[in-house]
Amino acid sequence: MNLPELTHETRTAHWGWHEHRYFGQRVFEQLAGQETLTGLTILSVLGRRLAGDASGVVDDAACTLTLADPRIWPLKLTRLIAAYGSTLPAAAAGLLSEEDARIGPWTTAKGAELLLAFDAEIGDRVDETETVRAIVKAYLDEHRFVWGFGTPFRGEDERLVAFRACIRQRERESLRFWRLMDAISAVVREARGTEPNMGIAIAAAFLDLGLTPHQVGSLTSALMQHMFLAHAVEGSAQGASLRELPATYVEFVGHAPRPSPRAEDQ
Amino acid sequence: MSAQQLDGPLESGSSFPARLTARVVTPGERPLVHGYDVEGDLARHYQPSDLLFLLLMGELPPAPASRAFSVALMFLSPVSVAHASTHAAVVGRLCGAPASSTFGVAAIGAAEHARALLDDHAELFPWLRAPRGSLPERFRARDASDLAAVQRLELALEPTGLAVPALAERPSRDAALLMVLFAVGFKRRERLEAAIMLARLPSGIAEALAERPTNFGNYPINLPRFAYTESP
Repeated sequence: MNLPELTHETRTAHWGWHEHRYFGQRVFEQLAGQETLTGLTILSVLGRRLAGDASGVVDDAACTLTLADPRIWPLKLTRLIAAYGSTLPAAAAGLLSEEDARIGPWTTAKGAELLLAFDAEIGDRVDETETVRAIVKAYLDEHRFVWGFGTPFRGEDERLVAFRACIRQRERESLRFWRLMDAISAVVREARGTEPNMGIAIAAAFLDLGLTPHQVGSLTSALMQHMFLAHAVEGSAQGASLRELPATYVEFVGHAPRPSPRAEDQ
Repeated sequence: MSAQQLDGPLESGSSFPARLTARVVTPGERPLVHGYDVEGDLARHYQPSDLLFLLLMGELPPAPASRAFSVALMFLSPVSVAHASTHAAVVGRLCGAPASSTFGVAAIGAAEHARALLDDHAELFPWLRAPRGSLPERFRARDASDLAAVQRLELALEPTGLAVPALAERPSRDAALLMVLFAVGFKRRERLEAAIMLARLPSGIAEALAERPTNFGNYPINLPRFAYTESP
């Protein structure tokens, strides 16, 4: 039977005979031997390569983001699934917990949306302290939770401190969104006593690279996969110790024992 | 090599409970679900769909809701390979992945399928909570086949004794099933999503298991044909 052909457009890739294409690049001729894994990751998320020291900024972000203690909830989740002995399902489970979550890499996308919203209001007046204060305070009056602010269990986000040093070294502190983040942070600190966290810093640095909020979230997720993989690899090799906790470590707070209506009718 | 004694925010200055909290299933040798003895009571007097209802809603369904919930699960269950959720599970099987990984793909697909359905019907629920005026047009049956499916649903619901007045508005099949779930008590989105996902999951798994691993030659690789472009 002759069926009309269904087509779907892709800019991602094509499998050729002797050469393959990836986002407009010839894989063997233009990527092999020239591009890094970071560069490939950027190409995968943005669909284009970035010039200058963009790869360096992304590498700085990946390194300073590396907070991989297995007690941190998304990583713990990976560790728990890894207890059944497989590696990639455990890593995939961690990945699943990221998009649109309240913690983890997708908070950078939310932070980027916030920065873009403030940028639309503040524009080129980022050095006008009173203007920035009025705009940010009006926002704070309407929002109890502010993406990109708050550093649980410590006074400041040590990752941001380290990332800021990298950004300073690359002379990118004066770029539009990094400056905007600093200006907003001053008002939030004054009004709420909370510090900016790594989420908003990554958002600012990646907006300064020209990314959209969705790209910011996707790229940050990619940059954090090494941590999930590490726990999936180690956890799957460790065996079954996490599969079931001894009952004494679990407290039941639900409904008291009761007979069902049909049992009572008998 | 001995473990290093390092200090950090989780070692000092913060307080967390020492035990995990169970809220639904009682841990131990004789499990209770929301207080009901599964092995000594529920297994003797109830159906699996009642246990599913109990798990998600916290209470056993009254008889009409129990039967209507079963009907809704039955209507929700078939998801053919034409749908991306089941199709993805079949492709997972083709790849020769372990069965457990294929089930994982099917579960993700079913969850995303359910989420998308509820996204598409987000405006239906305010109307169901306060049905002023007629059903919004976008949730009405689109064709005779849709109408016939809803008629079959009404027929299957008849013996349950559950009244779903919204069905008189000539809804689409999907909207009608959401109306039934709403009528039996599924008012919160997360629980609706869970019920739909769980109803549909077996279809994806079954279709995948019916495929032979690495049967690539029998798979229409150009459905659809991905047309590569380098234009921005």
